[in-house]
Amino acid sequence: MISFENVTKKYGNRVAVDGVSYTVDKGEFFGLLGPNGAGKTTLVRMLLGFSRCTAGNIAIDGLPAGRSESRKKVGYLAELHRIPPYLSGVEYLMRHAAFCGLSGSRAKRAVGEILERVGMNGSEKKKAFQYSKGMTQRMGLGAALLGNPELLVLDEPVSGLDPLGMRDVRVILEEFKNRGRTIILNSHLLSEVERLCDTVAIMNKGRFVVKDALSRIVHAHETLEDVFIRHLEVENP
Amino acid sequence: MNNLIRISVITIKDQMRQKSFYLLLAIAVVFILLIRGCYQGNYSVNGRQIESVSVAWHVSLLVFHFIAAGMFLMTSMLSMGIFSRDRDDGAMVMFLSRSVDRWQYVLGRIAGIWILSTAFMFILHLTIFLIVLTNTGGMITGYLTASLLCSVNLLFAIVLTCFLSLFLPNFMAAIFTLGIIGISFLSDGAYQAMQSELIRQIISSENHAALWRILFPKVYMLQHYASTLITNNGFDGMSPTYALVNIVLYIGAFAAAVLWRFYRSEI
Repeated sequence: MISFENVTKKYGNRVAVDGVSYTVDKGEFFGLLGPNGAGKTTLVRMLLGFSRCTAGNIAIDGLPAGRSESRKKVGYLAELHRIPPYLSGVEYLMRHAAFCGLSGSRAKRAVGEILERVGMNGSEKKKAFQYSKGMTQRMGLGAALLGNPELLVLDEPVSGLDPLGMRDVRVILEEFKNRGRTIILNSHLLSEVERLCDTVAIMNKGRFVVKDALSRIVHAHETLEDVFIRHLEVENP
Repeated sequence: MNNLIRISVITIKDQMRQKSFYLLLAIAVVFILLIRGCYQGNYSVNGRQIESVSVAWHVSLLVFHFIAAGMFLMTSMLSMGIFSRDRDDGAMVMFLSRSVDRWQYVLGRIAGIWILSTAFMFILHLTIFLIVLTNTGGMITGYLTASLLCSVNLLFAIVLTCFLSLFLPNFMAAIFTLGIIGISFLSDGAYQAMQSELIRQIISSENHAALWRILFPKVYMLQHYASTLITNNGFDGMSPTYALVNIVLYIGAFAAAVLWRFYRSEI
């Protein structure tokens, strides 16, 4: 589904992503972990075409990432998700629906279903500036789910959510995965990643230091947190 | 619907969402209605009565230029922060995380502001046209065509402001745009005046246009040509085709530069 081939990103002399190669298969729930500044968000941004690779290639279903055709299959929730403050939640979702090729009653129905799914019914007519961080995040997740994308790319999706909100997101993602869709989850919350993901990569200083199935990385009597700390201690003694 | 058209429509809706847009339109229309009195009075020069149609015609021509000049200020203000605002409030990610090409986003935003500005200017010119029609019974032919021709100048102002705003702070981009338009008016206006019979008789020397003046954006010349559609006087400044081609080439060049810069930037 997604292939990263020797992907490198440099900002001047600083290397943000350093020769990452990996393939995410269709239906895989892939967790991207790493400390702050490891290059996770840069990698995600390159996948969406927001940032260009200095070297290497990223492809989604064979199409170069960054092309508008490849984004047709993608739903994206940004790390610091923002909604234009002058839009209401429903207007925001209707705009996303329009760009997903939905219009009229189909768009209204799809938006209604999404509002129900992300628990934002009743707040959809409020302007975005009235939303809390959690509400903005829920709307962002709703927008990412619109159009039934093949691939969901989520950058810190539960940031700002209370425990109930986190549980709701987990249920939504599990449902999404059960429909055979692919998810890339970039998160600091190791417990969430451990619960949800099939495969995990730990990134540090722009490189993948570990990449494998979760069951092969986390051994008995260990948590993902232990694995994470162990690898980073080796990398940063 | 094509993404470009969709983004243009969204841009128009977003701008019209602002109360300041309606306030500005209302102030402009009220101002124009206030000058209605000019069309109703009796005027005499050196004891000779002037026809009201003639007065109306001259006032309308003056207001035509006044509105067109005011629109430069408005379009620069509307377009100066469009990309930085979108970047800050999440609208840019909203568009570009979907299957929208960057060129569709950039040109859609520019087209939206252009259509809105043209409609705004057209409404003001149409108001003048109707005032003259109702007060004097005379129709100023070419007035509305001239308005549409001036909209090419507005597109130039929008594209130039967008281009400059990718390098400069927003306010500076608007000021620079107005400065370039101001230079065009001063240099070509002065050159045009130098070509008049009266000045030629006073200054006998040959007056060749410098190369920079020929190549400089012909904003004034295009507006002057538009006004000749109202006055039906000949356009003696230069070939009107050259003025139009000059502005269109500048629009194309600046739009290409905006796209080039935008394609290389990080979202």
